[in-house]
Amino acid sequence: MKKSILGYKCKKCATIHYPNRAICRKCRNEEFDVVSLPEDGKLLTFTHLHNPSGDFEVAILDLGIVELSNGCRLTGQMKIEKPVIGMKIKSQIEVVRQSGYKKFYGAVFYKA
Amino acid sequence: MRDVYVIGTGITKFSRLEYPLVEIAAYPAIMAMKDCGLSKVDHVYVANMGGSRLNHQTSLASALIDHLSLYPSGADSIENGPASGASAIKEGYQAIASGMHDVVMVVGAERMREANNLEATDFVASLAHPLAEQIYGVTLPSLAGMFTRLYMKKYGVTSRHLAMVAIKNHTNALKNPFAHLHAPITMDGIMDGPDAMNNNPMIADPLRFFDMCPVSDGGACIILASAEVAKKIKRPKIRLAGIGQATDTHCVHEREDPTDLLAVKEAARRCFQMAKIKPKDVDVAELHDAFTILEIVESEEVGFFKKGEGHLALESGYTALNGKLPINTSGGLKAKGHPVGATGVGQAHEIVTQLRGEAGERQVKNAKTGFTCNFGGFGNNVVTLTFVKE
Repeated sequence: MKKSILGYKCKKCATIHYPNRAICRKCRNEEFDVVSLPEDGKLLTFTHLHNPSGDFEVAILDLGIVELSNGCRLTGQMKIEKPVIGMKIKSQIEVVRQSGYKKFYGAVFYKA
Repeated sequence: MRDVYVIGTGITKFSRLEYPLVEIAAYPAIMAMKDCGLSKVDHVYVANMGGSRLNHQTSLASALIDHLSLYPSGADSIENGPASGASAIKEGYQAIASGMHDVVMVVGAERMREANNLEATDFVASLAHPLAEQIYGVTLPSLAGMFTRLYMKKYGVTSRHLAMVAIKNHTNALKNPFAHLHAPITMDGIMDGPDAMNNNPMIADPLRFFDMCPVSDGGACIILASAEVAKKIKRPKIRLAGIGQATDTHCVHEREDPTDLLAVKEAARRCFQMAKIKPKDVDVAELHDAFTILEIVESEEVGFFKKGEGHLALESGYTALNGKLPINTSGGLKAKGHPVGATGVGQAHEIVTQLRGEAGERQVKNAKTGFTCNFGGFGNNVVTLTFVKE
């Protein structure tokens, strides 16, 4: 099964939340459907973080915020050589952090 | 509700302090008790964010009571991220305004430099969302970097404007003996000169080294009292006239316009409404410039300037020490330092010092109304205060 980030779609007003919350921030409904978030979107902003914490064995960690094609937004890591605000991206699920034996999976953005 | 006054203040130098956290809290508390001449208080609130993680010290308020032999006074520790300080002041205000207590001590204390800079940054990053932000390596500098990039594109703010904030606040800090950084900086040294890029390397682009506050140890204290107690104390009458607090989404990516700091705007609106003043009535302000961009944006969101015009006011000298509305006379978080849990109390200390007319070389003439903005998370929990000289 293909991995994807899971969003939380309000059963009443259809607002998609990421991350999850107990009460919809638009209509205060308490019931959600779990939905797979789309892979495609556009880059809203980004930064190149120098000297990230010890879990990351890189000198510079590229981070970005994207707006996915369904309007839901996501923070994630970025592997794009020359990022530009507004460019089209595709997100993939990869190991984004390793702390000892513990692996964390999350979104990595690539040029579409 | 009863009126609440600041009757005593104390502060440590913000720096690397080689003594335990409880002593960092105790020293400004003793100063504040001597300042107002009282040796007992009804209650103590202690703001601290990292004691349990960085210093293996929980229940700091109980430890402080013991260190100061203030038992059986009540004591509470307050943790609200980098806004812990102003939150503790709010608790103190409520205790007196409600009539529950007459004299309350509010202390903020932090000892961050026991950890190295990476550990300290990682500790502060623990306020980000664990699954949607932290796992990616998001830190506060990286959130500020992404925010700044958008802000620059939308409003024409440049790296030079950010450097102007740093230069202004480093210059102010030279006149503050309690400031962490006593290092004059110039546009040539950090932006234009041949060594500028070595002196001022990129941290989270477009933010550079001199756009970041230092990691500081430090403590500050104010003692609050009812009008009845305050009139017996022979110190200038400074009233805590307004408090505003507001929150926003935990994840920055969920904000409709990510260049808005809506919690700052709402907290300031509530604060000015309570104090029955307008932003134009403020004579001196301490804003939460953990990153240079934040001074510019907060100055707009609280209502001092129109959205997108804060950098123009800065450029014109309006916010300089000799300007119409001096901002961060203490040096701000940028140069005075940012011992996270203590910062809000440190800001209040500076404003009270200014309103008392005791700020020495950095004194703002005829300052009667002062404002502080203490910014928790990346703007998801903000507490603002207004002080008025009577």
